[in-house]
Amino acid sequence: MDFDLTEEQQMLRDGARRFFREHYRFEDRRALLASEAGFSRDHWAKYAELGWLALGQPEETGGWPGSFVETAILMEEFGRALALEPYVSTVVLCAHVLGRCAAARAAREVLQALAAGDARLALAHHEPGGRYDAERLNVVATRRGDAFQLRGCKSCVPDAPAANRLIVSARLEGEEDIVLLLVDAGVPGLRMNAYSLVDGTRAADLVFDGVRVPASSVLARGAAAGDILQAALDRATLARVAMALGAMETVLQMTAEYAKTRVQFGQAIGRFQALQHRLAEMFVEVQETRSILCCGLAHVEAAGAERSAMISAAKVVAANAARIVGEQAVQLHGSIAMTTEYAAGHYYEHLLAFERIYGDVDWHLDRFARRAVT
Amino acid sequence: MQLSHTPEEEQFREEVRAWLCANVPRGKRPRTGMALREYDLEWQRRQYDGGWAGISWPREYGGRGLSLAQQVIWYEECAVARAPVGGSTFVALSHAGPTLIVRGTEEQKRFHLPKILKGESVWCQGFSEPNAGSDLASVKTQARVEGDHLVVNGSKIWTSYAAMADWQELLVRTDPEAQRHKGLTWVICDMHARGITVRKIPTMSGTGNLCQVFYDDVRLPLANVVGEVNGGWDVSMTTLGFERGTAFIAHQIHLAAMLEGLYGLAHELKGPDGRRVAIEDDAIADQLLRLRADVAALRAMIYLSVSRGARQPVPGPEGNIVALCYGELSKRVYAFAVELLANEGLELHDENPDWLTDYLDAFKNTIAGGTSEIRRNVIGERLLGLPRGGR
Repeated sequence: MDFDLTEEQQMLRDGARRFFREHYRFEDRRALLASEAGFSRDHWAKYAELGWLALGQPEETGGWPGSFVETAILMEEFGRALALEPYVSTVVLCAHVLGRCAAARAAREVLQALAAGDARLALAHHEPGGRYDAERLNVVATRRGDAFQLRGCKSCVPDAPAANRLIVSARLEGEEDIVLLLVDAGVPGLRMNAYSLVDGTRAADLVFDGVRVPASSVLARGAAAGDILQAALDRATLARVAMALGAMETVLQMTAEYAKTRVQFGQAIGRFQALQHRLAEMFVEVQETRSILCCGLAHVEAAGAERSAMISAAKVVAANAARIVGEQAVQLHGSIAMTTEYAAGHYYEHLLAFERIYGDVDWHLDRFARRAVT
Repeated sequence: MQLSHTPEEEQFREEVRAWLCANVPRGKRPRTGMALREYDLEWQRRQYDGGWAGISWPREYGGRGLSLAQQVIWYEECAVARAPVGGSTFVALSHAGPTLIVRGTEEQKRFHLPKILKGESVWCQGFSEPNAGSDLASVKTQARVEGDHLVVNGSKIWTSYAAMADWQELLVRTDPEAQRHKGLTWVICDMHARGITVRKIPTMSGTGNLCQVFYDDVRLPLANVVGEVNGGWDVSMTTLGFERGTAFIAHQIHLAAMLEGLYGLAHELKGPDGRRVAIEDDAIADQLLRLRADVAALRAMIYLSVSRGARQPVPGPEGNIVALCYGELSKRVYAFAVELLANEGLELHDENPDWLTDYLDAFKNTIAGGTSEIRRNVIGERLLGLPRGGR
């Protein structure tokens, strides 16, 4: 075993860190948060140029094949910068689904557009009241000649407002089979109710009111569709763990620096043992997260149940760490961390969103319970 | 990054597994006394004869000269095979031996290291004193130089296995005028030397291997000094580097096996409602699964630290991270076990695993070799660069 990065991996990390240092200063990011889109199209184009949007994709569709380790490295840097672009939705979730459905012509075309920066995607899977399990979907696809008609609602779809295409899960009418469909975001009959999440990223509730999609937009169906969906969501979960790790490490450093410089009672508050120990606890939580991320990465290509169990374990450990690190970062800073004019609170909000997205601790514990860890 | 074991490592694992399957002692392990010593040394001898002693130790002193990663594989397979972990050979194998490897004279290494690997000697530690616990630099046990000997007077405490030990890693004050860290010497003490008295200290669990040692004009040859006279603080930091770094890998891996045992137990015992088995109780399942996830993180953390530590001869302050996690987590695991057993968990057994014994003994995991609080101090100051706080 060797946990050191290869030279190429170091270059990827250093390049990303440099880009974010130059382009994602606190005030730049605040301006993006306040903008209508909530992210930067220019940055998105730059990501395409840097090859990031093609990461992990097959070469024949313009991809840059690599292991998920590269994705995790990049995600950690996204987390440090709290980058707002819809990368996880587009590249980790949807591009994975499309890559697994590359037999479908529609998928190949979108993958090429995606790698070039011309497509952003969101996965519309969760439904109102379903929490994280959507085993029996209420969005129904009805066959109408050589097309399908979609009816039903999806809720809290991350990055949907930025997407020009959606991957929608639905149940075939009269059957239990699920089907994954590629849907144009501007299609008639689709209503989108967009809003901001706690971390400033955007999501939407979607209403499909007789949306017509051609049969050629079916990406996968039945058990295969379920497997692909699960694999994509597992990868997105792990990508967010890596992002949370970057965010935690950054906010920890920020807090430690603050403790070294903030003077009260005539001395740096970092000299007080009560505070030192809390910072040490935060540090340990960050190290635990890095460790369990490696464990998840080692299982990301494993068979379904084993992969899901280990990634759930990773989420449980990381979410627990995120709560501790995020809350203590605010507490140790004091009031300054409660303002949006200071970065610590932004990290806290990011970590809060991380806890809930793609399954919370209870959901992942439940899934983890279904398989013994070896 | 190479996140899985190499084919060579997997091959090594197969060999280890086959050997352990045929050779792990099956008899009941005595809890204390000379019977425990004999049992542990016999197991060590068997490993040596089988060519498995000192996997990551240098070949010239009887080791195998393999990697720390292979040592970890050995520990993992030991846990699977339910081989004895720790015990009276622990100090010799996990920190006295490693300290000698990097700091001892050639003569010291040639004499002691093969004896340790062959199961011919038991070591104990002699650092803590009644008035020097976390504040190790305040040790007062004195040693004056007389000719080519040190003459030692004073007392050491919380010494595990002192009553059955042959040798001791002893930290003494050789210069009473010098400030704290200066003026200390790390010396190999012959536990059979004249003037040594050992008093056993009863513990809550009744395992009773803790001792206090008294030194009354004990004469030790100067040739037994490791490092320089008055240079002992530096050597003791090497020892603590191992103690807080790699020494507990076997125990940490063993914890995962214990937790799986507990998981089995939760499928057998009745839960709080007295009807369903414990695992069907949501609160119990939740706790158990969180522990499982944390144990998985601890294991990954061990891999990570072993992979990084492979390049440094002595583990650095990062060792405190794993040690801290392990200490706190082990207490949670055993506390949970005792809760699961309800009132039956109150009975002290002489069995293995005995959850109550392990629970009571687990306090040492957050006290010995540096308390959790000292470890947090080290993490704060050495890894986060915080200013040195008041003590």
